[in-house]
Amino acid sequence: MIRLESLNVGELSLDKLVLNEESFVAGGRKRKRSVLSEKWFAFFLIAPSVFFLLIIVAWPLAETLRLSFMKAGLGGEAFVGFENYQDLLESKKFHQTVIRTFYWMFLSVSLKMLLGLIGATLLNAAIPGRALFRVLIMPPWVIPIAIGCVGWLWLYNGQFGVLSGVGQQLGLLDGPHEFLAHKKSAFYSAVVTDVWVGTPMVSLFLLAAMQGVNRDLYEAAWVDGAGRWYRFRRITIPQIMPVIVTMALYSAIFTFNSFDIIWILTQGGPRGASTTLIVDTYKVAIGNYKFGEGAARVVVIVMLLGVFASVYMLLLGKLLRKYGTK
Amino acid sequence: MATLHLDKVSKSFGSTKVIHDISLAVEDKEFVVFVGPSGCGKSTLLRMIAGLEEASSGKVIIDGEDVSDAHPVDRGISMVFQSYALYPHLTVYENIAFPLRVQKASEADIQETVKKAAEILQLSDKLQLKPGQLSGGQRQRVAIGRSIVRDPKIFLFDEPLSNLDAALRGDMRIELRQLHNQLGATMIYVTHDQVEAMTMADRIVVLNGGQIEQYGSPLELYHHPKTKFVAGFIGQPNMNFLSGIVADVKNDLLIKLFNGRSLKLPVDKSTLSVGEAVDIGVRPEDLRVANKGTNADVTVSVKTLERLGGVSIVYGSHNAGDGQRFCASLDGCAAIKEGENIGLNIEPTLCHVFNSKGQALRRLRVPDVLL
Repeated sequence: MIRLESLNVGELSLDKLVLNEESFVAGGRKRKRSVLSEKWFAFFLIAPSVFFLLIIVAWPLAETLRLSFMKAGLGGEAFVGFENYQDLLESKKFHQTVIRTFYWMFLSVSLKMLLGLIGATLLNAAIPGRALFRVLIMPPWVIPIAIGCVGWLWLYNGQFGVLSGVGQQLGLLDGPHEFLAHKKSAFYSAVVTDVWVGTPMVSLFLLAAMQGVNRDLYEAAWVDGAGRWYRFRRITIPQIMPVIVTMALYSAIFTFNSFDIIWILTQGGPRGASTTLIVDTYKVAIGNYKFGEGAARVVVIVMLLGVFASVYMLLLGKLLRKYGTK
Repeated sequence: MATLHLDKVSKSFGSTKVIHDISLAVEDKEFVVFVGPSGCGKSTLLRMIAGLEEASSGKVIIDGEDVSDAHPVDRGISMVFQSYALYPHLTVYENIAFPLRVQKASEADIQETVKKAAEILQLSDKLQLKPGQLSGGQRQRVAIGRSIVRDPKIFLFDEPLSNLDAALRGDMRIELRQLHNQLGATMIYVTHDQVEAMTMADRIVVLNGGQIEQYGSPLELYHHPKTKFVAGFIGQPNMNFLSGIVADVKNDLLIKLFNGRSLKLPVDKSTLSVGEAVDIGVRPEDLRVANKGTNADVTVSVKTLERLGGVSIVYGSHNAGDGQRFCASLDGCAAIKEGENIGLNIEPTLCHVFNSKGQALRRLRVPDVLL
């Protein structure tokens, strides 16, 4: 080992080689002492994080898993085995909730990614007042969700809401339409609000990625005769693909677990039309004090997200091989 | 047949004019190098020829056709960028094929053209790799390959070797020159490195402050620099300048240096008058060590000595003026040490003389060289 190190610096004189060797040995001894203490020191440094992770993540997860095998409520706990899971498997309503949740996620994430990409492209274009537009798209993201949702509650209101009023004036609606009171429109209204909240972040991340693309690539393509759409398709999209897929996964998990928007707008109604898994879990566990059944739902959510993320990571690997640099 | 004419082209960014009414003619199959210091406008001028920058005024004419308002693709040019501008997510094959795919060429044509370009550039075994897996020199070849497949009228190179290490740069210089001979194409090449300009160009355009200082063959620029700027820019190491006063114009031109020595110089003295301040340009390689005991033209205090084997380069300060930096390229085995003073003689026929405006005076006895 020492000899190889020495050979690598073969241009040095013999004296220096000997010196190097000595210093290497001396360094080795020193390093051995410091390796042990370094290990403990590193452990000491991460200990607070580990401690909090155990308390905040690991323990609640373990507790949830335990609860999912219990019939637990305000009156006490009783072990019921897989009964909670069996109920879920047999519940048609639960199956519908799972399907609705994935539909909610795919619809909302697709719209966020599409609008985010369009927004980023427009914000990246050399237009006057570009900096102002970049600031103007921020509010949906930066204002508290509850306040934004109250605004949307007014917009969706049948009697006083702008949407209902404009719809009637344009002849699209026969009379006042309470958007959040009808099964279909309530679900899609929640999607629209979720997209409104989530798009700016996607836009800004994609914009940052677009600005990182070497301008020479566009000029080279321009010299070769590639038009705007061709350049966008063959340069911009592949170049920002790693950010697109990362943002899509990030956004998917957030949307899957999005609770506040639905709860403020519809509380999962009407008649469960906008109830997703997370809302359902809250209703069962906190609303009806059925902690065991709620815990079983949480475990199912974790498993579903785990499967989803694994499939996604596999696809991501394939995508990165295609669009990566090596 | 591919000629380029620039007719009084200028370029302004806001109120700042960076290119001042440049006119230039590049002949068919010529290798022309734009050289100059940073910010002289050489890259901007190249980008104007490419169509990446619009000329504020003037015309760009390629093969007799005014292309000033044409898109880059319609000018019949191709360009190699300093950063190579390779698409990192595409393979070497797809990078080279890119311009052909834009033109919607058939798959068979693409395959044949890419194969041919890869053979010329010795990239045949690298076609399935991505740019990130290649060395700097190989990436540069891919960028050139992408230019070749378009079969352009004029190749434009924007400092293509500046990201390479010195050894590779030397190799690539030779390869590019060979490629030029092989393709018989008109090439315009931008660099700030005067060695690249001297070694590769048929003709060199020296730019300074957005204007052409001089346009000519490498040896023409070396032996007949029109201005002090060109004289100082072309040649490695740089030319030395000594301040002097015109002492006599009746007979031979006699110039007195500040150390009391006088030099009789064979240049056109018709515009000079006695008492006028001039600069004498002496190339480091034209200096000789004076014999000990004789009076030397300049005495140099040696501060740094570079032994390159064949030559020894001396850097120091001289006694013929304000002690400014002076450089001499002497015999490789010259017995010199750092810290000592050496006497150097100047050969008058090899000197250049510049008037107070920096304009060169015509040399009357020029070495018999192929210009």
